[in-house]
Amino acid sequence: MRGSMLAQQIVNGLMLGAIYMLMAVAFTLAIGVLNFLNFSLPGLFMLGGMVAYGFIKFGWPTLFAFAAALAVAALVSLLVERFAYRPMQGGDPEVPLVSSLGFLVLLENLMLIYFGSDQQAFPALVPDLNLRLGGLVIGIAQLGSLALSVLLVLWLSWFLSSTSTGRCIRTVAENRDTAVLMGIDTGRLVPMLFIASALLAAVAGLLFAVNYQQVSPFMGEGVGFKGVAAMIVGGMGSIWGAVLGGLLIGLAEVLSISFIGADVVNITVYGLLLVILILRPQGLLGRPATREKL
Amino acid sequence: MTAALSIQGLNKSFAGVRAITDLSFEVPKGVTTALIGPNGAGKTTVFNLVSGVYGVDAGTITANGVDITHMPSRKRISTGIARSFQNIRLMSHLTVLENMLVGQHVRNTSLRALLTPYRLFPNHRWKVEARAALAESGLEEWANETVGALPYGVRKRIDLVRATLAGASVLMLDEPAAGLNPSETNALRDHLKALMAKGITLLVVEHDMHFVDSICENVVVLNFGEKIAEGPLSQVRQNAKVREAYIGAEEV
Amino acid sequence: MSGYLTGVLVVLAFNVMAAYAVYLPLAAGQLNLGIAGFMAIGAYASAFLTNEYAWPMWAAIPVGAGLAGLTGLLIGIPVLRTHGIYLAMATFALGQVISALFLNLEVVGGAAGYPVSDYVGPNGVFLAAAAVVVLMLYLSRTRFALYLTAVKSDPTVADLLGVSVRGIQVAAFALGAAVAGFGGAFYAHHYNFVEAQHFNVLLSVFTVLYVLFGGTQTVWGPLVGAAFFTLAPELLRASDQWRYALFAVFIIVFMAIRPQGLVTTSLLRFARRKPAAESSEAA
Repeated sequence: MRGSMLAQQIVNGLMLGAIYMLMAVAFTLAIGVLNFLNFSLPGLFMLGGMVAYGFIKFGWPTLFAFAAALAVAALVSLLVERFAYRPMQGGDPEVPLVSSLGFLVLLENLMLIYFGSDQQAFPALVPDLNLRLGGLVIGIAQLGSLALSVLLVLWLSWFLSSTSTGRCIRTVAENRDTAVLMGIDTGRLVPMLFIASALLAAVAGLLFAVNYQQVSPFMGEGVGFKGVAAMIVGGMGSIWGAVLGGLLIGLAEVLSISFIGADVVNITVYGLLLVILILRPQGLLGRPATREKL
Repeated sequence: MTAALSIQGLNKSFAGVRAITDLSFEVPKGVTTALIGPNGAGKTTVFNLVSGVYGVDAGTITANGVDITHMPSRKRISTGIARSFQNIRLMSHLTVLENMLVGQHVRNTSLRALLTPYRLFPNHRWKVEARAALAESGLEEWANETVGALPYGVRKRIDLVRATLAGASVLMLDEPAAGLNPSETNALRDHLKALMAKGITLLVVEHDMHFVDSICENVVVLNFGEKIAEGPLSQVRQNAKVREAYIGAEEV
Repeated sequence: MSGYLTGVLVVLAFNVMAAYAVYLPLAAGQLNLGIAGFMAIGAYASAFLTNEYAWPMWAAIPVGAGLAGLTGLLIGIPVLRTHGIYLAMATFALGQVISALFLNLEVVGGAAGYPVSDYVGPNGVFLAAAAVVVLMLYLSRTRFALYLTAVKSDPTVADLLGVSVRGIQVAAFALGAAVAGFGGAFYAHHYNFVEAQHFNVLLSVFTVLYVLFGGTQTVWGPLVGAAFFTLAPELLRASDQWRYALFAVFIIVFMAIRPQGLVTTSLLRFARRKPAAESSEAA
């Protein structure tokens, strides 16, 4: 009995971890390539869920509402690039972080004005079917989300390693100056990266809304911060690190809730992050930093 | 008499590539010495090993009789050895005068010095000393400017003055004349001669051979991280290995 | 003074103390995103001493600040081995862990909060904030402040010039933590109630926000930033639900136009020179 409960919690942890994984990959794209801790991403996650909710309530077909939510997130991300990232090049590294945080506050408050601060019930879109495997219960929506997340990450990993645009992105990540010298058009690449990370965050928000059937203006904060934690645990700038970190954080959260209690989640999740940062700052799959040259 | 700087059997590789191989030489007190060689010969690497930016693979480094081979980089300046930087490393958020004050740190390390509100006193001795050092190099007009926007030649001289303010008896200067115009080079030569007259020992990395000739008594020639010759410049010039190393590079 | 005005000024005083707690390490180039955790330590520790052991406040508050500083010192030593974004995230995690620990600590009320019996009036809070400002002004005139900037500007060269980069960083971090704990201790005894939920990420992050808004180049920046962030939303109160959205737009636009913050060294120098230039013209 105890064993099957553990197995069930591991399954639930992996499902939640898939959402963190998408957020972590979104953060890692921005950090790894642009060296930008983009705190607007939790806001874009929230937009994914809230905008879809708004349009569905409006009477739009579900798929259109989803597409609209993704489009809105991508557009807002371009604004973030224009106003939080682009003007700050060459300044103190904390400044774009603050501006992107400004976007998070702005998005949350706009949604608050429109929808109020309460949690809204997101309609159940997927029939409430469960797979039963042995003693395990796996929801169709959960399984679909996990599969979609994994496919997205696999595709992104393939894209980065096998296409010419992907190689350009990796060159920029390696050394921005060299990339410019090699004739890579960063003016085109950077907005593309902003759109890509926004889409990942918004998809995560949509999956969260569909799975947990609730949305609110502040739904991005908790998930977003755990996405950052997942990225760092795995190793900044590494896609597979983000995957590993996301799943670990999801597991740590679900297991500590079910075996210790809901109040200790922040202790275990952020304690794990702190321990990793002290013992292995580059993360589980990251490369250590090298000492600068004089 | 102990040497100002003594390097014995020094070795260093980066990721398997040998940068310095079995290098030994001495800089006797008061003997201005030049470290020369083609680009990539390992001159700056020697400075970085002596100042502790990199750890050595093998060998010993002794400054004023103290073995500094494994001393933390921060403590080496207190053995009386200071350096300047090839690509001028001034603190760009600070004014010129404040950079000088940081240069004085090694002579003012007590907690009391750390917490003295010197800025409340317009003529605090630290500021007076720093202004005097700047004035000696004709830099006093820049004292209150932030260094970021200053012309190259000015920043180059500021970097040198800051190194002298540590009160070190040995100064390692990394290409002090690079990028200077002829009149700036002459002013630099006078400055260095004044330092030599005060009994400071100089070790200079430099490409300008006329400049080297005008101040250095001894020359150590590096090529691919190995010493290929040593002696007065007029002698090393005749050395076949040195001529070979410099073929196609620059005139010796 | 009206009750409303006093209330706003007390909030300002707390924000000023928090701002300097963030400013000290930031001046050395370290972003502390966990300042709320250190405030919580100061608040809970001092409240525990006055409540349970009947310590007088004048003893309990400094001890609370000292414990926050000590925690900053002990945790700063391993955490400050990391740099840049890693350090920011480590402090972020630290803040989360500390406030979650208090949330689960039943001796101080756990999630229900912790009532505090001793009371400090508004004047006490103003005096505390003034003391912090005076301390910061004093430090800004010393080599300590000089080395903070040197370490931020070029740690490698600062090290080669003999400055203990680690020592300066740890000192700035621990001193900032102590200032946060000091503010937290006064918070507990002014509002007579502490709850762990108050010391959350957003408190830390907003403090960083107004410090950067004010500017970190001079010691005046945090003061100006805290004042603006406390008073501006009050002025926007008329527009009520739009005020935070408007405020966010303002931050974004402002940081895009003036990323170095409001108060900078060149601004201060300009302000100082101008009267001098005028007097020389008159002569």
